[in-house]
Amino acid sequence: MEDVVLRPAPIPRRAVPASLFAAVGLLLLLAPRFLDRGSLNDIWNVAFGVILACSWNILGGFAGQVSIGYSAFIGIGAYTTVLLALKGVDPYLTLPLAAVLGALFSFLIGLPAFRLRGPYFTIVTIGVSEAVRVFASGVSFTGGSSGLRMPAGSFDFGVNYASMVVLALAVVALSAVLSRGAFGTALSAIRQDIDAAEALGIDSSRFKLAAHAISAALVALAGSLYAINFQYVAPGSVFDFRLSLSIVLMPIIGGVGTLAGPVLGAVIFSYLQIKLLTIPALRDSYLFLYGGLLILVMLFEPKGLVGLWNRLIAAVRRRSGGTDGP
Amino acid sequence: MVPEAMAPSPILSVRNLSKRFEGLLALGGVSFDVEEGQIFGVIGPNGAGKTTLFSCIVGSLVPTSGEILFRRRRIDGLPNHAVVRKGIVRTHQIVRPFRDMTVEQNVSVGALFGRGKRRGNEAVRRTIGILETTGLSHRAQAIAGTLTIGELKRLEIARALATEPEVICLDEVMGGLNPSEILAAMSLIRTIRDAGVTVLMIEHHIHAVVGVSDRILVLNFGEKIAEGTPQEVVADPEVVTAYLGDDSHPLLEEAGS
Repeated sequence: MEDVVLRPAPIPRRAVPASLFAAVGLLLLLAPRFLDRGSLNDIWNVAFGVILACSWNILGGFAGQVSIGYSAFIGIGAYTTVLLALKGVDPYLTLPLAAVLGALFSFLIGLPAFRLRGPYFTIVTIGVSEAVRVFASGVSFTGGSSGLRMPAGSFDFGVNYASMVVLALAVVALSAVLSRGAFGTALSAIRQDIDAAEALGIDSSRFKLAAHAISAALVALAGSLYAINFQYVAPGSVFDFRLSLSIVLMPIIGGVGTLAGPVLGAVIFSYLQIKLLTIPALRDSYLFLYGGLLILVMLFEPKGLVGLWNRLIAAVRRRSGGTDGP
Repeated sequence: MVPEAMAPSPILSVRNLSKRFEGLLALGGVSFDVEEGQIFGVIGPNGAGKTTLFSCIVGSLVPTSGEILFRRRRIDGLPNHAVVRKGIVRTHQIVRPFRDMTVEQNVSVGALFGRGKRRGNEAVRRTIGILETTGLSHRAQAIAGTLTIGELKRLEIARALATEPEVICLDEVMGGLNPSEILAAMSLIRTIRDAGVTVLMIEHHIHAVVGVSDRILVLNFGEKIAEGTPQEVVADPEVVTAYLGDDSHPLLEEAGS
């Protein structure tokens, strides 16, 4: 990336300071020394959510291109890993290919869909992700709807946990870098006024394709690690439309287009989901809860929890400013 | 009209340009040349096709037929961003700032992605220079959404200038400005031209466009009805007729004086 000489956009500027980021990262990586497996599983889930939410946010938040088809990239990553592992490849060596295939598939969606303005991209993503799920359920090499099991072998949760946490930290750091500099400026311009962006020399299609590819590759990596952890992949789990919806919900709850928002949203969402899934009555209705939460956010604070926080800070400043006055 | 033989090679040449929207002919075979270093005014009643002309030149609209040549190379059909890279940029009549960005960030977009494709400190230097030229330095850190209309008009020009154009197309940059702001805008337009940028300007404010232009093109219902020096154009009976429906139009006073 280019030197960060221009002041970043006002929202990313209020990012979690780098020192806090490093401290949390270190703590999470050392967690296996003092936490039990159950808690580590919860952190694993949260890290998975953070990767999905922050990756989605690069395209959906920074560039304003809302996709509701990101489960396709999880599936592509997961299947790449399982299929290659069945051929005898070490699962972790399949990660680069999973990322590349995820990015290539993003072009397949983006090349036709990004030419259209308006909600068409969003609609196309829903259609494509459903088509991929139906395809994966129907053909034999994916194991059909019953899915595929990873070859029996030694599975080390510690390695998978560390990989997921490192990937989550890397995605957060990458979003911070991408949100500044020329790339972030271009995405922000595209989100705010695509025609004005074009009128100043921004090749909007190219930037949208790039943002889509980067986020798709990251989500595919998460899909690979997901498959390695569960040792099993089926269209009903990785290509689930509800998963695509969850990926959108997390950044929206936290604050679309911000740096901290998707992280916050993912932590709350993933943790709630873990807790709610253990309550039998809520098992199937948890999406209602999120639907309600979504409506509340849209009605009262479209910038999510980060927006709410900023408003609070502004209110406090105003009040303290008032007492300082003559 | 300047005879072809006398004129040096024009920087911009529009040949028989037409644009049809469904049933409506917005431009019907318009031709004209713009010489390098000119301030070239484009006037005409509402709906005459002026903005459509600019949109075709910069590539945000694809012409139905005809040619647009920039330094003798065809540019019609190129996408907007590619035309900007070649050195032609436009501003919007209805301002389109990036409202969540600061003034400085808005201008930096032009510096980063325009013809210069400046990076790092070069982009900053370019941005700061343009903010000074356009008188926006004191507002550099203001969020664009908080600017007054006069400032927003200047921001449109500033962003366009930051792309380092050879030709800038100004679409009614004086609309909504008060008399002193209009004088400032006229002087800014002259400054831009003196810096070596050829200026095309759509303007409803007749006194301003007559005062600042070297040549003026008059459009009416998508067709060229006159072209010449400001004096020639305002004295043209067809031009006066075109404006007659608008009984308070200053062009009539101008022509009569």
